[in-house]
Amino acid sequence: MLETSSTGATAAQGEMTHSLKSGTGRGFDRRARLRWANKTFKMFCIACAVFVCLVLFLILFFMFRTGVLTFLDVSPLEFFFSADWTPEEDRFGALVFIFGTFALTALTLLIAVPVSIFIAIFLAELTPKWLKNMLRPVIDLLVGIPSVVYGYLGFTLLIPAIRSVTGTSMGDGLLAAALVLAIMVLPTISRLSDDAITAVPHKYIQASYALGATRFQTIFKVTLPAARSGIMYAVILGMARAIGETMAVVMVIGNTPQLASSLLTPTSVLTSNIVMQIPNVEFDSTWNNALYLMGFILLLISLLMIVAIRFLERKGARGA
Amino acid sequence: MKWFKGAALATMALTLVFGSFSASNTAEAASKKLSGKIVINGSSALLPLTLQAANEFKKLNPKVKISASAAGSITGPQSVRKGIADIGAVDWDATQDVPGFKKFDGQVAHKVAVTPFAAIVNKNVKVDDLTTKQLQDIFSGKVTNWKDVGGDNADIVVVNRAFGSGTRVNFQMKALMGTDFMTKGNNYKEVKSSGDMKTAVETTPNAIGYIDLPYVTSKMTALKINGIAATTENVVNGKYKVWGYGYYMTKGPATGAVKAFIEYVQSKEFQNGSLKKLKFIPLSAMK
Repeated sequence: MLETSSTGATAAQGEMTHSLKSGTGRGFDRRARLRWANKTFKMFCIACAVFVCLVLFLILFFMFRTGVLTFLDVSPLEFFFSADWTPEEDRFGALVFIFGTFALTALTLLIAVPVSIFIAIFLAELTPKWLKNMLRPVIDLLVGIPSVVYGYLGFTLLIPAIRSVTGTSMGDGLLAAALVLAIMVLPTISRLSDDAITAVPHKYIQASYALGATRFQTIFKVTLPAARSGIMYAVILGMARAIGETMAVVMVIGNTPQLASSLLTPTSVLTSNIVMQIPNVEFDSTWNNALYLMGFILLLISLLMIVAIRFLERKGARGA
Repeated sequence: MKWFKGAALATMALTLVFGSFSASNTAEAASKKLSGKIVINGSSALLPLTLQAANEFKKLNPKVKISASAAGSITGPQSVRKGIADIGAVDWDATQDVPGFKKFDGQVAHKVAVTPFAAIVNKNVKVDDLTTKQLQDIFSGKVTNWKDVGGDNADIVVVNRAFGSGTRVNFQMKALMGTDFMTKGNNYKEVKSSGDMKTAVETTPNAIGYIDLPYVTSKMTALKINGIAATTENVVNGKYKVWGYGYYMTKGPATGAVKAFIEYVQSKEFQNGSLKKLKFIPLSAMK
């Protein structure tokens, strides 16, 4: 990335000197002025970049600093391995929420990934061009719908539906949340996988057909393996979105601090618990610190995802 | 030109960020006679009232600036203690201990309104009258089937507000006489706001919950408690006990513009006019 931008810069400089040579006698003035403008612009860009990095690190630092105070009153063992979250009585076991977050994300991906990949294969390989040009923008539009809309539809349409299908009296829980999230991450995963599949070099597919493979064999034995790192990238991006989603989840998960014994038990995840409780918690209390620590854990998880994406990107670039 | 646009945008963003910082800093600046700045934070239930009062007050005293926001009852007295806000709106008397929250020392509570609360059930529930004991049993999880309190054979779905909600504190103190809520169970869930409570009870069969009386709609049933209907008349004549005062908390006695504003909210003109229109009950109605 750095390399491309620096070559771009040298090209621009070359152009500049060239124009200076062909310019009139006042070239020196102009050069000084240009250099000044370039320098200022460069400084400005650097300042912006530094500012953004600073903000990120300050957020991390602040979340960590506040969160870590929890351990003054609660042992890490209790925080991470106890499922008893009764903050009114000073019992802070966050296992319920950590488990819930991972369970919800896993369930979401279980629903969303196969469907997304089939959509991607359909878009990239099986559709005539005119339909492709129509479907892609439609799927892109799904990304733009605010999550609160998904949550509200889940709350008012999906949950009554689950109730009538399963015969339970509530319907809130991991299943409802995972369905809502799956629809939310579907466009992200399917469009990025679509791009990855489209980017598979045509010669591989031609070679596969030349060897007498059917279309089905070609797609599953050649195209998908070749697009694997791109699809993984899409899945991780979708996962990052699912883990951090709050608004939609809080409306359908039930917000009860108990381990989910079934898909239909009301439960709670990191994001939903933070948003439910943070407005009503006293500043500087252990409870407040515990919520910050949960936020920090969530940040760490997303950062790890981003590192994973970078890693895959590099691997993918080397492979190609 | 492009970088100039970028620079202008960045400057604007910076001004916004730092502008909001300085706004919270000036909050503490003492206000002189009917000019100055009043910052109000706290209960979302009282926010409509506060906003209406602020609008009217600003018309009478153009030099006073009022900004009001709401993040939940407990943030009211907390913001006052931290010096972020001049007035903390709260649904209970924060100078006293209430279940779950300690009292705030050094603050003064000013009564500004009366809010009734109602226990509500979904339209499909046949029960329309519960005793205090039955309510306690349902919300603590001892009774889990409607047939045990005279309804159909169906599981009771309990919808609760999250800990720290002013409505929850009032309902717990006045309707449940202080007994604890259950905190988990297969048919138990918590919601974030009065609006969510309304939708949850409206759409979930066999659900029970509770809400401010102004929020009660025709799509739900407001329960009688011990045979007495939840109406403003019954609150005023003293029969219906599940109601609470809304309070404005200040650090020490109110002074200057803050005092004038609180007095305006408590004035007969506002209490019998706009406050009544917003479906709160005037303080003077209570004896």
